[in-house]
This record gives sequence, structure tokens and C-alpha cells, in this order.
Amino acid sequence: MNLKEYIGKPTGAGTIHVERGSVSRFAHAVTDANPVYHDLRAAQAEGFDAPPVPPTWTFSSGFLGTWPEDQPADPTGGEGSPMMKIMRELMKNGGLVLHGEQEFHYHQTVQCGAVLHWEGKITDIYTKESKGKVMTFIVMENVFSNAAGQPVVTEIFNLIHRGA
Amino acid sequence: MTNNTPKLQYGAISTGDEAPVVSHLLTRTDLVKYAGASGDFNPMHTDEVAAKEAGLPSVFGHGMFSMGLLGRAVTDWAGAGNLKVYGVRFTKQTWPGETLSTRIVVTGKEETAEGRIIIADLALLNQNGEVKLSGTTRVLAA
Repeated sequence: MNLKEYIGKPTGAGTIHVERGSVSRFAHAVTDANPVYHDLRAAQAEGFDAPPVPPTWTFSSGFLGTWPEDQPADPTGGEGSPMMKIMRELMKNGGLVLHGEQEFHYHQTVQCGAVLHWEGKITDIYTKESKGKVMTFIVMENVFSNAAGQPVVTEIFNLIHRGA
Repeated sequence: MTNNTPKLQYGAISTGDEAPVVSHLLTRTDLVKYAGASGDFNPMHTDEVAAKEAGLPSVFGHGMFSMGLLGRAVTDWAGAGNLKVYGVRFTKQTWPGETLSTRIVVTGKEETAEGRIIIADLALLNQNGEVKLSGTTRVLAA
């Protein structure tokens, strides 16, 4: 498997509905009782039109806000994320998959009621040796945009396969 | 669009300032709640039997739960809607029974085209000072 040929490949795309129930439940799950996430009145008192989302919400948003009827064409052509394919291949010889780094860049505040579009791709793949084990790093980027096509959040993250 | 105003006062913040600490005793219930609310159902986080069969002492915490907890401390301090960048490196697993505490230390500030920015180093540590997450943030100030 020539890993470098996967750089630039799409990992997925989707339409996300930012729903209040999922945002509130997610905020509680990360121990955040700040009323701006739960109560419209508190959100409006702080200058928001609707409750904003907690900082890491978009990372889970594919699970939380995907409705099947308005999804865009699958940029992987039904193959699924090539990251999964690469990890499955590497795991055939054992090892462990780790989440190494996660970064969010916020361009605009995401608020409940918004409909976002996201697109993901692999931006880099490289290997390193550590303590005699081969570590394979897959770096990915997800860009979330608003209805006007402006980026609102960019996620940059890696998954690491640590060889057995 | 929002009219949310930054909570921090640029002039009142200095390098070395620390944000209030958020501490949390990690329980298995937290992991189940986070799995349900995020959709991450990796059994290593919720299924004690499967985790032990895999050779682990118990289930362990989702890295993204830790990042969510640390993010809460950042927004408690800087206000929701005021983050520009939030990034972490996952350094150690978290385990039920650990008490996780946040550490946010201002390292600089700058006036930029996107506004007045406070830069801080971040960490999440257990009760023995073991670093679980380390990272940085850039937040807006008034």
C-alpha cells in the first residue's frame, strides 16, 4: 500500500442540522451546565440569536445532526473514508489506533438552527519510528461551512497507528 | 450573526495569569453519557468486560471527553463564542476514579486583524500531576 497516494483524498461530506436537543445533551455530557447552551433566554442575554455549540461539538456533529434526505453526493463514491481502509489494512498485523492531536479553528460562532455543510480530506500521511515501533500518522481536515458557503469551523486532527 | 461580546478585558490580562481551575472526578457514568451524546461507542470506553478482555485494567475515558472538559474551562473563562483556536495533544489515557483538573496559563496577547487575542497554554492533569492533554488556545478579549 503506497500511503502517499491517499494524500488529498476526500474522507466524506455531509449536511448537518444543529439541533438544540443534541447540543444541550452534548454540553451536559462534557459537564458544561452553562445556561447559554441550554436556555434560549440565557443565550440571547449573552448576545446570541440561539444557543451556541460547545467548542468540540462539530467533531460529533456527523452523528448528531445528519438527516438522510438532504445529504450531498458521497465524494468517496460509496467507498467510505480511505482512513478506515488504511487503518483496517495496518491493523491486520495488530497494533493500536490512537487519536494524537485535535485542533479547532473557529471562524464564526455556530448556533442552534444552523444548517452546515462539511467536507473532509486527508492532508498528510507519514511514518515515524518510536521505541522500535512504526507509527503511521494520518492527518485530516474537516471544513464546516454555513448556508452562505462561508467557513465556520475548521478541524485539523490526526489518527496514529502504532504497530505491534 | 451574534452580538456576543468577549468576557475578558484585554488590558487586565497579563502573561502568567491563570484561569479558574475546573476539577472533575471521572466516573464510568461520564463515559456512558459521553458515548451517548457524541456517538463514540468504542467498547473500550463503555464495556468493562470487553476492555478487560483486551488486556486493559478497566474502561478508559474518551480523549474527546477530556477535550470537552478542558474546553468548558476555557469557555467558562473567556466566554462561549469567543474562541478562535483550540488545539490539544492527547498524551495519556484517563481512567475512572481519577480527578482531572484544568490548567490554563496566559502566555501572550496580541492585537490582530481579527481582534484582540489572548494566547494561553492548556493542560488537563490528574491528581498526581500526570498530564493527560496539553494544548493551546487563542481567545478574543474586549
